[in-house]
Amino acid sequence: MWFRICLNRLKISKMKHGVVTIENSKYPKLLKEIPSYPKRIYYKGSWDTSIFENCLAVVGSRKMTTYGKQITTKLVSEISNAGITIVSGFMYGIDATAHKAALNVGGKTIAVMPCGIDMVHPQHQKSLYNEILENKGLVISEFEGSFPPAVWTYPKRNRIVAGLSKATMVVEAGEKSGSLITAGLAKNYKRRLFVVPGPLTGLNSQGILQLIKNGADIVTSSKDVLASYDTIQFEFPKVSSRLLRLNSVEQAVLEELQHEPMGIDEISRFVKTSVAKVGTILSFMRLKGILLEEKGKYYVNSTRV
Amino acid sequence: MLVKVLSASNSGLEAIGIDVEVNVANRGLPAFEIVGLPSKAVDESKERVRTAVINSNIEFPSRRIVVNLAPGDVPKEGSFYDLPIAAGILASIIQFKIPKDSLFFGELSLDGTLRHTKGALLLALFAKEKGIKNIFVPKSCANEAAVVKGIGVYPIENLNHLLAYLLDEIVIQPVKFKETNEEKSVIKVEFDMAEILGQEQAKRAMEISAAGGHNIFMSGSPGSGKTMLARAVQGILPALMGGERLEVTKIYSAAGRIPPEGSIIKTRSFRSPHHTISQVGLIGGGTRPQPGEISLAHRGILFLDEFNEFPRSVLEALRQPIEDGYVSISRSRERVRYPCKFMLIASANPCPCGYLHHHKKPCVCTQREIEKYRKRVSGPMLDRIDLHVDVPAVNVKELSEDEQLNINLETSEQIQRRVISARKIQQARFKEDSVYTNAEMKNAHIKKYCKLSKEVKQLLCQAGIAFQLSARSYFKMIKVARTIADLENLSGISMAHMAEALQYRPKV
Repeated sequence: MWFRICLNRLKISKMKHGVVTIENSKYPKLLKEIPSYPKRIYYKGSWDTSIFENCLAVVGSRKMTTYGKQITTKLVSEISNAGITIVSGFMYGIDATAHKAALNVGGKTIAVMPCGIDMVHPQHQKSLYNEILENKGLVISEFEGSFPPAVWTYPKRNRIVAGLSKATMVVEAGEKSGSLITAGLAKNYKRRLFVVPGPLTGLNSQGILQLIKNGADIVTSSKDVLASYDTIQFEFPKVSSRLLRLNSVEQAVLEELQHEPMGIDEISRFVKTSVAKVGTILSFMRLKGILLEEKGKYYVNSTRV
Repeated sequence: MLVKVLSASNSGLEAIGIDVEVNVANRGLPAFEIVGLPSKAVDESKERVRTAVINSNIEFPSRRIVVNLAPGDVPKEGSFYDLPIAAGILASIIQFKIPKDSLFFGELSLDGTLRHTKGALLLALFAKEKGIKNIFVPKSCANEAAVVKGIGVYPIENLNHLLAYLLDEIVIQPVKFKETNEEKSVIKVEFDMAEILGQEQAKRAMEISAAGGHNIFMSGSPGSGKTMLARAVQGILPALMGGERLEVTKIYSAAGRIPPEGSIIKTRSFRSPHHTISQVGLIGGGTRPQPGEISLAHRGILFLDEFNEFPRSVLEALRQPIEDGYVSISRSRERVRYPCKFMLIASANPCPCGYLHHHKKPCVCTQREIEKYRKRVSGPMLDRIDLHVDVPAVNVKELSEDEQLNINLETSEQIQRRVISARKIQQARFKEDSVYTNAEMKNAHIKKYCKLSKEVKQLLCQAGIAFQLSARSYFKMIKVARTIADLENLSGISMAHMAEALQYRPKV
């Protein structure tokens, strides 16, 4: 066990790493504008100033819903595809989803750690950590060595997340979410604040609703976000369901699921087909990538259909 | 005078012959000794025999009696040596001959009547194997022993009854095996499948696993109906078939679980041990190894509710028996092997609080807690389970108001019919192999009986990558698809069968 930890540390320490101070010309300009900018930033990966040019902070709840996961994946992959760097806090939930979505489309991403640069926190996301470094991403922190994360380091981390970015997008946030701190900071720094609306009843929407009341901009598609960046706009082609060559039952299943995600039992009741047959159809549609399955429910893959 | 009486002792499912030598000496101080490594129960036989003989109005000789249980190096256990010992003593004082080729077996009550004793079937099988023609057993065990044809089973009520027969005063007819009403009737099952609302997929999964004897894992919130489903499975399984009956009855005979007047077991057992069970309780064991729950569930159902709550060591001990279909228990004194081909139904909550993915109640567990909870069951263990199914909580009120839904509910009997026909197909398929169901297929059988077309193979490979299936899961999917095809009475496995089988893959 110890051996493995040491080996891993060795691996991480072998990667490119270093420190950039405020005097350095490579220090991100936007971050310099905030009142309490960090004097030195430790980093892992290759420090390339172009990565800081068009940053969007994507933050949200640790306890994300399936909808939260889906919409983050969809929006972030579109935004990242347009060349925007996704900045987030490497926490599990929305943060990790945003990092992953950016990596999946070959986009740039920056993870800001709440702990010393030599630590991976949370530990179980080590594979994501390595993935970020392997794909020209950047891991940064203002804390050196193996400084442990503490209650007060998270808000400090959040100011870097907000400070690096032209705009901040909050996906899901509960009433007392840390994402609200990031959102508040973004406002203080006079950056744009986007929120992704959720249902009024959702626990994970309460923070979002507060932000909307206070005047945050609502995101209805990735274009809303991209409009505030000077990048080329992309049109995202969609496959019409006719082109997918679906038979009548498959079509019926798809239509039901476009209304609301459902479990297999409900689907079979709605389309009035035996659960054995529906199971067959769902497996095929799942393998074709038309549907996604999570938490016992089927969803329409919004990036495909 | 020396008298020799035949008896036998069982070790596991095997029996070994024991010679009970009784010597009532003319000289020496009055005494009653048993030699030949008797256990406490055998040693206490002295008092039972003495009192039973006296209470049968026969004078007990006040002479030196020595009983030798040969071979002398095998430890003797149990209370069934009472009858051979008593017969030996009576033969030497009343002067009659113990009939040749006869085996005696039974525990005495103090009033001289014979009590129900375990292991009668095993003894009868031993007698037949060794060419012993007659066996004398307690009356309540006679129907159990009479399952074995070709030997005379004499039902004995009490000592005087036996004495009268041996003195040619009365005639006792050997019993013929007769089916008792109790075994003819189908067991009463607590729940019918039609009583369970919703859960269409779970019911279908139960049907598949019953048809192919597959192990199944259910995950769902408290109150979603997991236990109900598991108990209802009993009602869709077919009764035990010819060969299976004897296998199961042997185990129950060895465990002493056949009731008085009981006989061959025809219904499949349903064992649901609590999660505080010990390793020995589940697997079997003890100094004289007894069958555990897994062997009592042989050819039946082993239902492990709250699967994650079982101690890890207990669950890991299950792995090998599941794979092999038998368990070898080795202790310093003996080694026994009990078969344990059971259908495992495991159920668990999706997280510690139980409400993950629940439609109303929010889950209060952290990701770490959930992962820790799931890790209590090892990957290799879950890999040995063919079907994995979610049992979501249902809105019972809404479902019960949906009339159309209630009309179409299938009863257990309807499902059982399909299961039986699928089992018949399997029986015909595995005629030359030593397996009964699809779940028992080894890789060689899969190659022989589950030929996949190119398209189906492609589908499976595609799924293997998309769902990250392990090599073992790959074979499991083929087995499940085979059973689905059998349920439809089709000889080839089609794309549709394989696609449905993929629904029951392990979900991480």
